[in-house]
Order: sequence, then structure tokens, then C-alpha cells
Amino acid sequence: MNGFLSTYGFLIVSMVMGALLGLSLYLPLMTGQLSLASPGFYALGGYIAAILSTQVFKVSDGLYPIGLVLLEMSIAGVVSGVLGVLVGIPALRLRGIYLAIATIAFVEVLRVLSLNLDITGGAVGIFGIPQPFLTPIEYLWIAIPLLLVTMVLLYRLERIRLGRAFTAIREDELAAGAMGIDPTHYKVLAFTLGAILAGVVGAVSAHFLNTWNARQGTFDASIVYLTSVLIGGTRTFVGPVLGGMVFTALPEVLRAIADTAGLPLWLAQFLRDGRLIIFGVLIVLGTIFFPQGLVTPDLFKRQKNRKSHS
Amino acid sequence: MIGENLTTSNPILSAKTINRTFGGLVAVNNVSFTVNKNEIFGLIGPNGAGKTTLFNMITGLIEPSGGQLFYQGEEISFLRPHQIAKAGIARTFQNIRLFGELSALENVTIARHIHTKSGFIRGILGLPPAPSEENRTKQKALELLDLVGLSDRAFQKARNFPYGDQRRLEIARALALEPQVLLLDEPAAGMNPSEKNQLSEFIREIRSQFNLTIILIEHHVPLVMGLCDRIAVLNFGKLIALGDPAQVRTDPAVIEAYLGSE
Repeated sequence: MNGFLSTYGFLIVSMVMGALLGLSLYLPLMTGQLSLASPGFYALGGYIAAILSTQVFKVSDGLYPIGLVLLEMSIAGVVSGVLGVLVGIPALRLRGIYLAIATIAFVEVLRVLSLNLDITGGAVGIFGIPQPFLTPIEYLWIAIPLLLVTMVLLYRLERIRLGRAFTAIREDELAAGAMGIDPTHYKVLAFTLGAILAGVVGAVSAHFLNTWNARQGTFDASIVYLTSVLIGGTRTFVGPVLGGMVFTALPEVLRAIADTAGLPLWLAQFLRDGRLIIFGVLIVLGTIFFPQGLVTPDLFKRQKNRKSHS
Repeated sequence: MIGENLTTSNPILSAKTINRTFGGLVAVNNVSFTVNKNEIFGLIGPNGAGKTTLFNMITGLIEPSGGQLFYQGEEISFLRPHQIAKAGIARTFQNIRLFGELSALENVTIARHIHTKSGFIRGILGLPPAPSEENRTKQKALELLDLVGLSDRAFQKARNFPYGDQRRLEIARALALEPQVLLLDEPAAGMNPSEKNQLSEFIREIRSQFNLTIILIEHHVPLVMGLCDRIAVLNFGKLIALGDPAQVRTDPAVIEAYLGSE
């Protein structure tokens, strides 16, 4: 077990982070807004934690206190939330593909800024971010509670007045307005909640990855998390959680399969290097055959019915 | 001008020389009228006469190009749809805009939005008064579904309902707003004759039960004539007649608009 955890600890924590980032994309999607801004807030949260822990708090001896990590997470959440409102109000005047493009631009702006500012360490980034734990797997002490809290929050959200307003806007913004729901207000709220979550996850990730630079939270990352939400499912929070985990693990699984003996050389090569092609094909097939993703609310209802009939 | 000289006792909604142009097309042209409290007010006219455009302006979906709209003495010309809904004007849509993927019950509970207020924290944590408010919302929604005869299918998806039931569900959803004024855009479209008769009866019922003022667009002339207290006739964006059914029926301008001149 110890061997397993030390080998796969990094991957397991990454999967939980992937699930969380999937959820940060899912939140604006609850109001029907396709936003790719999450990686931007993720990068921002990471820089906040990296700068605070290496330049402000400067704990030199021993393990870095977890309390300070939690403090950084809170600060990252607040800053991301404020920026989320500021970006959200103008950006959410756009819809569909235009909003997606605007949020990609936002991610790019942050990336270029972080490449050129002194405080973010330029192209080198910030390294030697202090560790609150001895091994990667222990990051689960932060990641798992964060995931559980977020999931419980979303489970509740889908069942209350606020979540209904989100759903109404997703289903038909115009009709939602006619029902007395202010679409702008709730779209900005959903976008901001997603931004806060991404920022908080970024803050943990900075410690977890030990270094933070402009390669974190790029457009490529947007696509990976978009894949996990689109294939996982866009109608229930379970979809992005499973999608985020599977698509974070998929490259490693493919690499492992490629290493099995007896495979033809070309196939092994393809599994190792062609995973982006596989991702792309999955997105295309998924959106054609499963427009709501693989995990849909109907799936749960069907299960419930089957139980009640038997 | 037609309609302006009419003495109105208890106005709730009025349009003053309201205009709407789309590019060069004048969809609604200097229309003025006043709807009285508790009235069933019909809006008829050939296709493209500007009836739905007028509805869309009243409910804030589009802004008037000119003129003013008043509701209970306040100007509402440039309010946004959710503000109009909050003020007490609800509507149904000509091309049915239910939340199709959601159940009938969810469709109606969504429309309780303005009459509930629990926010993020209380809602998520289930702190009082959120749970009791949630129960009342469900209760109220079920009552409304019962009123339109759909309570036995409360958990079915709205898009799986037959056309006539979808129209009824839309009315239930609009009633959930507890409006003062209800705008019905072709409520009888797609209904068979017996359903149409029931609908007339139903509209009268909800008017007295909820003390409503109802404005309806309808193509089915017998239904409009039998149901409405007053009728406004639009043709090419202009108000060509306004009065009680008997007056409108014999109005030469109306006959010309519907049958063409000799």
C-alpha cells in the first residue's frame, strides 16, 4: 500500500484537483455560460499562494504551517472572486462562443502579464514553494475535504431557489427573465463562484507542484477541463467530478498501457505520444453522441425507477 | 384617434402613442389604448399586425422606439423583463417557452422566484426560513398544477406534454408569479374545439379567482368575441378599432382588414 501511494500519490491528488477544476467550469455552465476563464483564476490563485509563501510569510524551518496554506486559499478565493465580478459583468454581456473567446483572451492576458512582471518571476516563475507535507499523497488532507465541501454545496445548490434560477437561465434565458429572474445577476454570480473555486484550487496546487510559472493555467488547460466537463456531463455536478478525474488520469493510463510488453511498436508509440489526438477524437465523438455528457440526471432517475419497480 | 376618447374608469395598463420600428418596417405605429382593471381585453388582427410586438414591449423584451407605457400610473417603457415580472405583469408565449428539460413542477417552482427570498448561505445550509419556504413553494406549485389539471404528471418533463397541456402549464407558470395582469399570446393555438371551450371557461375562472386583468392575443374569432369585454384590432401596426365585441364585429375598418375591400 505504501508503495502504491508513493508511486501514485501525485496522480491521485492531481485527479482530485482535476475534478475541482472541472467543477469550476461547471458552475458558470449551470447558467448556460461556456466560460473558459477557470485556468486564468487557477493561475492567479497559484501566484497568490506562491508569492505569499515565498516572499511574505517566509517560514524557514521545518514544514510549512497548514494554517498559512488555508489563509492563502482564502485570500486567493477573495481576490479571484473580486476579479470574477469585475471580469464577469462586462464579459457576460456576450453569449456562447463569443463569451468563450473573451474568456480565452482573459486567460491569455493573465499569462502574458505573469510572463512579464517581476513579482511573478517572469518566464522562470516562482520555485521552491514551501511544502506543508512530506509526501504528495498527504495533500489529500486538503484536496478531499475541498472536493467534498464543493460537491455538497453543488448538490444543495441544484435543489434550492438559487440553483433553480441558474437552471432556468440555462434552459431559456428569455423565459427566465419573464419569470422575474434577473439573468445578469445570476450569471455573474455563477461565474464568480467558479472563479473563487478555481482560485482556491490554484493556491493549493502551487504548493503541491512546488513551482509556479506561466505554463500553469494556459489555453491547453482550458481545453482539458472543458473535455472533462463536456464528456463527463454538463447537467449534474457528478459529471465534471468523474470527467475531471478520468481525464487527469487518462494520459498516465495510456502511458502504462503503452509500456505493456508485446504491443506493436507503432501502437505503443501512438499511445504514448498520440494522447492529444485521442482527447480530440473523444471530444468530437462525445459531443455528437452524448450532447449532455455521459453522466446525466436521467441516469439517476432511471436507477431510482428501477429500484422502486423491483 | 381611436380609443383615446373612451372614458376609462379604472385603468391598470395604458399605451400612449407607442411605436416600434425594425429597420424600415413599422411594426407598431402610434398605438394608444387603456386596459381597465379586471377586464379581459382582446388583441386581434391579421398576421404581422404587430400584436406580439406589442406584448414584447409591454413585457420588456423589446424597447419601444417611441411613446410610453404605463402600469398602475408608473412608466414601464424601459424596464427589463424581470422588473416587469416583479411589478406584476406575467405572460405566456406564442411559441411556448417552457423549460422543456425540467419537470412540470420545476417549471412552476422556478416562477415562485420573486415571492421567495432565501439566498445562497441560508439555502445551501438549509437554515430557517429556507426549508419552510421551500415547502411552501412546492405546495403552491402543486396547487397551481392542480388548477390546470396537471398535478398527476407533476414530475414529467415539460417537453413530453401534448401541445394543449404545454399551454396550460405555461399559464400555471405565469400564475405562479401572482400577477396583476396576465398576457396570453394565442392561448388556444393548437387546441381542439372542446379544449377551446374549456379554455374560455378557464380564463374567466382564473380572472375571478385571482382578481386578474387579462390581455390576450387570439386568432380564433368566436373565442375572442365570446370571452373579451373589449377588443382592440391592429392592422399593419395601426389600431383600427377598439370597443366591445358587438362594436368591433360591425366596424367597417375591421371587416375590410379581415376580408379585404371590394
